[in-house]
This record gives sequence, structure tokens and C-alpha cells, in this order.
Amino acid sequence: MTFSYVVEQTINGVTLGGLYALVALGYTLVYGILLMINFAHSELFMMGGYVGLGVLKVLADPAVADKAGMGFLKPIQAFFMSGGVGFVALMVATFLVSAVVVGFLGVIIERFAYRPLRHAPRLAPLISAIGVSIFLQNAVLLWISSKQLPYSRADGVQFVTATTAFSVAGVDVSTMQVFIIVTSLVLLALLDTFVSKTRTGRAMRATSQDAEAAGLMGVDINRVIALAFFIGPALGAVAGVFNGMYYGSVKFNMGFIPGIKSFTAAVIGGIGNLRGAMLGGFMLGIIESLAAGFISNAYRDVIAFIVLILVLVFRPGGLLGEAVAEKV
Amino acid sequence: MTRNRRRFFALVAVVAMLSMVVTGCSAKTEQSTGGEGGKQPVTVVIGVGAPLTDGAVALGKGMSRGTKLAVSQANESQELKDLGLTIEVVEGDDKGDPTTGGNVATQFTSNQKLLGVMGHLNSGVTRVAVKIYNQGNVVQVSPANTAVDLTKMGMKNYFRVCTTDDVQGPTAADYAYKVFGAKRAYVVDDSTVYGVGLAAEWAKQFAADGGTVAGTEKTGDKDTDFKALVSKIKAANVDIVYYGGMYNTVALLSKQLKETGVKAPVMSGDGCYDPEYIKLAGATNAEGDFCSSIGYPVDKLPKAQEFKAAYAEEFPGEAIAAYDAYSYDAAQAIINAIVKVAKEMGTDKLASVDGKKAIIAAVAASNFEGVTGNVSFDEKGDTTNKVVSIYVVKDGAWVPAE
Repeated sequence: MTFSYVVEQTINGVTLGGLYALVALGYTLVYGILLMINFAHSELFMMGGYVGLGVLKVLADPAVADKAGMGFLKPIQAFFMSGGVGFVALMVATFLVSAVVVGFLGVIIERFAYRPLRHAPRLAPLISAIGVSIFLQNAVLLWISSKQLPYSRADGVQFVTATTAFSVAGVDVSTMQVFIIVTSLVLLALLDTFVSKTRTGRAMRATSQDAEAAGLMGVDINRVIALAFFIGPALGAVAGVFNGMYYGSVKFNMGFIPGIKSFTAAVIGGIGNLRGAMLGGFMLGIIESLAAGFISNAYRDVIAFIVLILVLVFRPGGLLGEAVAEKV
Repeated sequence: MTRNRRRFFALVAVVAMLSMVVTGCSAKTEQSTGGEGGKQPVTVVIGVGAPLTDGAVALGKGMSRGTKLAVSQANESQELKDLGLTIEVVEGDDKGDPTTGGNVATQFTSNQKLLGVMGHLNSGVTRVAVKIYNQGNVVQVSPANTAVDLTKMGMKNYFRVCTTDDVQGPTAADYAYKVFGAKRAYVVDDSTVYGVGLAAEWAKQFAADGGTVAGTEKTGDKDTDFKALVSKIKAANVDIVYYGGMYNTVALLSKQLKETGVKAPVMSGDGCYDPEYIKLAGATNAEGDFCSSIGYPVDKLPKAQEFKAAYAEEFPGEAIAAYDAYSYDAAQAIINAIVKVAKEMGTDKLASVDGKKAIIAAVAASNFEGVTGNVSFDEKGDTTNKVVSIYVVKDGAWVPAE
């Protein structure tokens, strides 16, 4: 085993970890404020992948513009497919639309599935979340497709051709990996600053410590909760689009496994703690990759969950669960 | 107040239950009077057990189409009209999952009018389902199960029209070593009955030919992330990667391998012989990948043109998937048996235990010219038509390899 191989597997792990961290934040944000596990979050990750694919198809798939009545798309597509500025615009549009659409979907779900149950026993919103999860999966299954859809144009050409590898000092890295790692780190840093430095962020922290008292101090609780339900799913959607581009397909039930893993990451880091979710995500990703690379692909999940158990045995609150007093 | 309301609900519940029991009874009596008439029209059912929402969906839906084509042709024939017999197709979605497949099997066998099952796609699913069909005396004909041991379980009701991994794996390995010239291989399987068996047979033959198996690995059958595995395969520096799995995983491995700069082609079994493989992997990534599939290429068979034309008419715009022709033949074997028993015992006896046992015996004695070649079974239920062909992706389509 050469050194470059170790580095390569670690980079694989950091990329995967970035995706986990983005999704894990959604779990941890909601838990921090409502003490509720949003089981529908993995489906919002999936919806992100689908919305992203839809945007890409409309803006950059000639097969869509060729359909009757869609001819007006041709000049628009010509711009987005021109490369350079067009490509950057395409990426910005894809991620932005996906994040905003799924973010609002998160807010709508909160409004109709969770808010009516806010004062109900804690199991009720949990069941409601499972219901939403099943609903979203079946909606995609029935209205879009039960098949695994390729994340590419109808003629098989990739939207992002930058997935191929380049070599740095004998280590192969792909531009997509760099893209994912950088974007996820930037988003995580932004969220961290937002929560710790801004006024709204302070309102979120206050709500998570004591919602009732925060309300008495003039914090609009409903707005804060809605915001958490916007940010979490929006980040999840970004991860969903990345997941599609990086691995190459979307499916209606694709959220389940990453959802469980990201939830695990949130628990490892200490659920309710934002930095914990980031740490947990990257840790889990790297452990999985190294386990697959050096032990066996078949044991990657086993090893990942052994780590979870060990963390829970020695630090029941998660790695950063106790060190930080506040929950968000 | 609450007490009254509770009483009211209890009353409603009792009425609802009673009404269900009553309607259930009346439905049964209707059925039995229908049977006694003899000449009265009788409807029987053939079940299609296949993955329709999860797993290899493209293949499962194709299986369903192949069966429906055979059944709709039979229903239009004079033979069935004379008998007053109509055949219906009922789909059961096994999701490519053994547990769900078991539930489908229980559902199928509890349907008294169901006389045979065309399916399942996955060997692992059949291993569970076949025992349930056996208890219900329901004949099962699979178009796609290639795991060797399925016909060694002593199930008299089980038949398959495709050949097995101990023919398919070695044929593909010989091709890889002797024709393609691969010396080093990496062998991966998807941890299913099908994938493990096929990959093991392939690796055994490849090693026996003189090739080196540089490493073996396992994945899940619904995985999409192969990045860590790809780095591992790249480091092993091989000429070919063999993956025992279905198109949904193999295509993604191929895509992720090629994007990392690995030049070695991916080779797989019949579960990848589908246009969906190329779509998922991307045409440039899939170019040069191999798969083996059972039987001769459909184009080379005498009855194939007829089948293609009928298929295009029945399902306009649908491409023929890997097992559609096999499913057509499998369904045909069941239909022939039903017709034969209906003539000998009368249509009213079809759904009885004796009738179902006679259908099993009639399928065992099948001997007809199908779309995929001659359809007949040996004493274990395996097909006597043991042909495997190798295909390669060329210009974005599967074509027979030289």
C-alpha cells in the first residue's frame, strides 16, 4: 500500500464526509430546536437530487428543448451550454433552485405536518415525520419514475464533464471531489458564522435553550423554527445534487441509506450540536472509506457502526455533546 | 357523551365487519356456482413475480410485458375461446428482495384462481418463494434465475427457461482470458445469491485458464457509492473487472471506474444485458464493457422477428429488455400446460389440487419451439437449451461480441 493510495482513500472519505455533514446538519438543527428527529429529512435530500436533475435538464438538455412547445428554451440552453461563464451560471442556478425549492418544501412540511403536533406527545411528530417520508418517496415513485435515473442528458452526455481525475504528486483527485469538499466547507463555515454571530442566529440559539423563555423575550418562535426547516433541507438538497453528480444516478429511495448514515454522524458528533454534526460527518466518511480501502468493502458499514457504538459507550452525549452547553 | 360516542363507533365497526363477512361469502358462492356449470366462462390467473418498483426495475417491467404479450395472444386464440377460458395476468412486486418476494408468494398462492407463476427475476427471491409455491402446488417458471442450486432443492414445481451460472460464468471467463486476453482480474459481487454464485464460477474458471485474480470484494445490491472500491481496483492494476450483479450497480461501478481513469472494461452477467446499463453508465464509460447472456442473440432466432413485430405492436415505444423473450416463453409453457389440463380434466377442475398438480406435470413435459429456442426441461427442471452468448458495448449499444 503506497502513500498515495492512503491519501486517495482519505480524499474519497472527506468527500463522502462532506455530503454526510451537509445532511447531518439538517437533523441536528431540527433536533436542537424541537428535540424532534425529522425522519423526512432523508427524503428532502432525495428531492434535492431530483429538483437539481430537473433544472439541469431544462437548462442544458437539448432533448427537452426539442419537445413540442419547448422551443423557447433553445437560446437559454445555448447560453448555459456555452461553457465558461455559462457553466458557472448553470451550476449556480442548479444548486440555488434546488436549495430554495427544497427549503420551502421543508417549511411547508413543518407548517402542515409538525406544527399542529408541537404540543402533542413527542412520539406524534415522529410518526408524522415517517408519514411524510413515505409520502414523498411514493410521490416521486408514482409521478416521476420507479427507475434509477441517470444524472445525465437524455443522450447520455454528462452535465458536469469535470468528474474525471487529475493527478497531483501521484494522487488522483477529481474536480468533482474538490468541488464537493470546498463547497461543503464553505457552507458549513457560513452556517456556523450565521448561528454564532448574527441576531437571527442568536434567536435560534435562544429558542433551542428554552423556547418559552425566548418567546417571552420577543423571539418569534415560529419564524425561528421555520428558518431551521428552511436551512436544513436546503443544505440537504445541495448534498442531494452533489450525490447525483458524483455517483451518477437518482432513485426515489436513494435517501434512506445516506439519511441513516448522516443521522449517525449527527449522533456521533452529539445531536443538537452544529459543529458536532460536521465533525461526525467527516469522521464517518473517512472511517468508511479507509475501512473499505484497507479492510473490506463489505465491512465498511459494520466498522462505521462499531465506531458509533464505541462513541456512545464512552461519550453517551456524542463527541461534542457535553463540551458545549448550548444545543445549536 | 364520550360513552355514547364509543358505543356508536363500536356499532359502526360491527356493522362494517358483518358487511365484509356477508359480501365475502356471497363472492365465494358465486365462484362455486360458476365452476359447476362446466361450459360457463372461467377466468384463471397467471402471476408475474418481478421487481417493479425497486431493484432491477427495467428488467422486471420487461418480464411483465413479455408475459402480458403471451397471455393476450393466447386469449385471442380460438383454442381458449372454445374452452371458454380467459387468462388474466396479476403482477406481484417483489422489489428484488427475498422477504418481499415471500410475501408476494403467499399472496399468489392464496389466490385460488392463480395457476402458475412466471418469475422471479432474482435467484435469492426464488429461493424463498419457491417453497411457498410448492406448498400451494403452484407451478413456477423463471425466465431469469441462474443460481445453480435452485433446481437441487427438490422442488417439483420449479422450472427455468434460462441456463445457469455454472455454464454462464465459465463461458464468460473463457472469453475474457482467451479472446479478450485479460491476464489479471478483479472480481466483485453484490452479496446476492445470483451475484455471489456467478462471480465465484467466473473466478474459478478464470484461474483455471491461467489468469490471476488480483482481488475480490463485496458490495450491497443497492449501493451507489463505489469510490473507495474504485481506488482499490485502480491500485490493483488489472486488465478486467468482473462484477456479479444487476445493471443498476454494475453500471455505476463502470461509470465511477472509467471516470477515475481506469481503462479495464467491466464484465458482468445476464443481469446487465439491458439498454438501461448503458444509459446509467453513460455511453462513453460503458464502451467496451462485456456481459454474458443466456441463449442466442434474439436476432439470430427464427421466431424472433415475429416476436419483435408483435411486441412493437403491443407496447409501442418500449425497448425489449433482457428477459422479455424468456418471460414470453416461460409464460407460454404455463399457458400450454393450462390448456392441456383444461382439455383433459375440464376447465372447472383447473383450480383444484389435482388440476394444479396436473399443470406441474404438463409443464415438466413441455416441448415446443419458443422465441429463445427449444423449450423443454430435464428431470430437475433446468432447461435443456444451454447456450450463453457474450455481448459488448459498441457505439452505445449491446452487440454480440466476436
